[in-house]
Amino acid sequence: MLTLIVVLPLVGFLLNGILATRLGGNVVGNRFVTVVGCGLPIASFALVVASCLTLAAGGYAPLVEVAYRWAQIGDGSFEVAFYFDRLAAVMALVVTGVGSVIHVYSVGYMKDDPSYGRFFAYLNVFLFFMLLLVLGRSLLVLFVGWEGVGLASYLLIGFWFDDLANARAGKKAFITNRVGDAGFLLGMFLLYTTFGTLDMDRINAAFGGTAPVVSASLVGLLLFIGATGKSAQIPLHVWLPDAMAGPTPVSALIHAATMVTAGVYLVARMAGVYVHAPEASAVIAVVGVATAFFAATIALVQTDIKKVLAYSTISQLGFMFLALGVGAYAVAIFHVVTHAFFKACLFLGAGSVIHALGGEQDVRRMGGLAKKIPLTFWTFAIATAAIAGLPPLAGFFSKDEILWFAFASTRGGTPWLWVVAAATALMTAFYMFRLLWLTFLGRSRMSAEVEHHVHESPWSMTGVLVVLAVLSAVGGFIAVPHFLEPQLALPAVHESLHAAETPLVVVSVVLALAGLAAAAFLFGGPSERVERLRARFAGVHRVLSAKYFVDELYARLIGRPLVWISDRVFLRLGDRALLDGTLHGMAALGRASGRVLARIQTGSLHLYAWLVLAGIAGALIWSSRHG
Amino acid sequence: MTAMIDGLLQQLDTLMLVVCAFGALAAAATMLLVREPMRVAMALVTSMILLGGIYGLLGVHFVAAFQVLIYVGAVMVFIVYAIMLLETREASIRRYSRLFIPGIAGLVVLLGAIVAAVWKPLPSPVRELGDVSFGIGAFSVAFLTEYWLLFELTSVLLVAAVVAAVAVLGVGRKDPRRG
Amino acid sequence: MDRTQLLIGVAVALFSIGLVGVVVRRNVLVMLMCMELMLNGVNLSLITFAQQTATTVGAVVVFLVFVVATVEIALAIPIVLLLVRDRHTLDIGAYNELRG
Repeated sequence: MLTLIVVLPLVGFLLNGILATRLGGNVVGNRFVTVVGCGLPIASFALVVASCLTLAAGGYAPLVEVAYRWAQIGDGSFEVAFYFDRLAAVMALVVTGVGSVIHVYSVGYMKDDPSYGRFFAYLNVFLFFMLLLVLGRSLLVLFVGWEGVGLASYLLIGFWFDDLANARAGKKAFITNRVGDAGFLLGMFLLYTTFGTLDMDRINAAFGGTAPVVSASLVGLLLFIGATGKSAQIPLHVWLPDAMAGPTPVSALIHAATMVTAGVYLVARMAGVYVHAPEASAVIAVVGVATAFFAATIALVQTDIKKVLAYSTISQLGFMFLALGVGAYAVAIFHVVTHAFFKACLFLGAGSVIHALGGEQDVRRMGGLAKKIPLTFWTFAIATAAIAGLPPLAGFFSKDEILWFAFASTRGGTPWLWVVAAATALMTAFYMFRLLWLTFLGRSRMSAEVEHHVHESPWSMTGVLVVLAVLSAVGGFIAVPHFLEPQLALPAVHESLHAAETPLVVVSVVLALAGLAAAAFLFGGPSERVERLRARFAGVHRVLSAKYFVDELYARLIGRPLVWISDRVFLRLGDRALLDGTLHGMAALGRASGRVLARIQTGSLHLYAWLVLAGIAGALIWSSRHG
Repeated sequence: MTAMIDGLLQQLDTLMLVVCAFGALAAAATMLLVREPMRVAMALVTSMILLGGIYGLLGVHFVAAFQVLIYVGAVMVFIVYAIMLLETREASIRRYSRLFIPGIAGLVVLLGAIVAAVWKPLPSPVRELGDVSFGIGAFSVAFLTEYWLLFELTSVLLVAAVVAAVAVLGVGRKDPRRG
Repeated sequence: MDRTQLLIGVAVALFSIGLVGVVVRRNVLVMLMCMELMLNGVNLSLITFAQQTATTVGAVVVFLVFVVATVEIALAIPIVLLLVRDRHTLDIGAYNELRG
């Protein structure tokens, strides 16, 4: 059954990819694509639910299903096997559930696109690889899924590849991911040479017993480098904002709900290693909180609706890694689930807004949409409140747990981690409500003809928004950490700090409300307030708008030297001078020696006869000398 | 007494051999030195006849006869005819080519090389000077029995030569002027 | 120096002079005659060895050399005739078309 869960989207990819694209001659229409493209993921979801029931009935003993033996090398063999335990169940439910509703949303969003079939084919192949990733038993299968989702991401970011900027964004995403994968591969090599297996459950068990033969921190760091690339942490975060060039359902599914959480899943899955690696965990926590803070500051000044959400995603992923770094693996997964709900809702809502405005994405040209597209507005507002952490919505529960463990966990929780995280939470609330105000409330800044055409999206889109908004509201009550506790134990908390738990909750609620109030004050009122603020902090504003010039820094530090080396060393020196030069040189040598030898053929019989004479004399002298 | 006459005859034979040898050599050298081709031909004829004399002294009389009959009588006569036919009126051609000096140098080197290669004491000859080594009878028998293949190939060669000569001169081809 | 060595020396000298004659003389017919001289040198050496060992093989080969020389001249002279009819000169410098 597990294999079937994974294979159904693959079938959808093959059917749509061959029959509904130019490759197969476009032999089927959009209705077939919709039925196959949406039906198969929904079927997968149903099967996941059935597997959960089977799991529960079996006392939560992990289900293992070996699909196929890939290779047999000596004593070890590499199998394609699927593993279903509590963690995999949670992840698979999110992937197939949220994935299916986003597929349904795409029916309405991509209705008029000429490459409708190709889009669904790519979405299905993404789902296939993502399921390989979460259900795989060994790191190898996970890595196949890892690379596969990277490929799907590349294909979907550059979906409208006629525009070169989109293609470049897809390339940037893929290459940045690859840099992280180098660390991942090294980690895998290290694990394999040490343990002779890549099965994650076996590796976790191997670390649990006696003193490990390989440094857990080293392995942990190497795997984390891979997670950095996939989950857009510093310094490999640069691809995610550019990835917004893809269609909005793609941004929702891949770059908010599922693919970018693969790094979080990896670390959580390998928790058996990380509990023995305090140094690596400390690094993860610091990188996570730094990324969260850094991305939040950039999101404060962004003017593209999707870019704000992109930086918000990076920031929220930072929160998840913070939780992982202090040992609260189950809490990180909890945040993955709630984040999937409200971030998908936000992205799809943004997509609805863009659809309504006929393609406009700049918030400076929006405003006053609340009355015109009320359903989109209310779902967006609920999701915004959820991400800001207002109780009793989903974001409040998960974020609050993260903040608590950042403060009090015995595995690395310190007060200053909490301070930075809390500041980030404040900024999150602020910029999200800023987005809400600028987009939906206040006076309209749209052009007349755009305003005239504003309309609510079709039911395929708004229905999904409603579902996700409801989940964002009540999702917090799904006690995911409690469910995962038998497998991923929550870290112990300093005894002395127990008393601080309730005050910290109050503080975080206050911060969320403060962010809301500040946004309402600045953006709900006349625009001079914002202008004055911007004028006072003009330098800071410039740095933030330019994303701290990170892309420019990479271009100068890495890009330019590489291009220089490619041009000067490899092209001019290596290829042209050495390789071509050698070949041309040999040809020239042949030609020159031919020219020299041709001087003998003068046509003069005297010379020829003389050469005979010289030859005879020479031969005689040589033979008499050598006997 | 006969021994003394024999000894004298021996010495005479040796003397004649030496004379013929050096004469042939001198005639050959003259070939290189004179300008007109007719005189060169005469020098060659002299050299060949003297060589014939050497053959006779060595006892192979029939070879000496062939030398004079074939070489001088046929080959050199033909060459002389050709020289007379091709007497060109133009100013005489330059005698020596551009490779004169390299040629002389090569001559010296070649002589030195060959002499160094072959100069060694040889076993004394079987027959004395003046004695007949073998007659034409023995020669013919050998030619037709032991070396009969060479004999047949010779006839083939001659036929080929006749055919080639006819082809080269275009005998039987229609004269393009008469059409 | 006994007589065999003398004759061999003469033969070698005749051959060398003939070869050098081909190299240094310009007249085509003179070059042909020098080639005949070379053959004569070879004949002399063959006869010398034949007489020395009293075998017939030397004489047989000499006879073949006669035949070959005759055939060669029988063809060379007509070729020279044809060439000279074209170029009207016996100078071999005029016949160097087969350049490299």
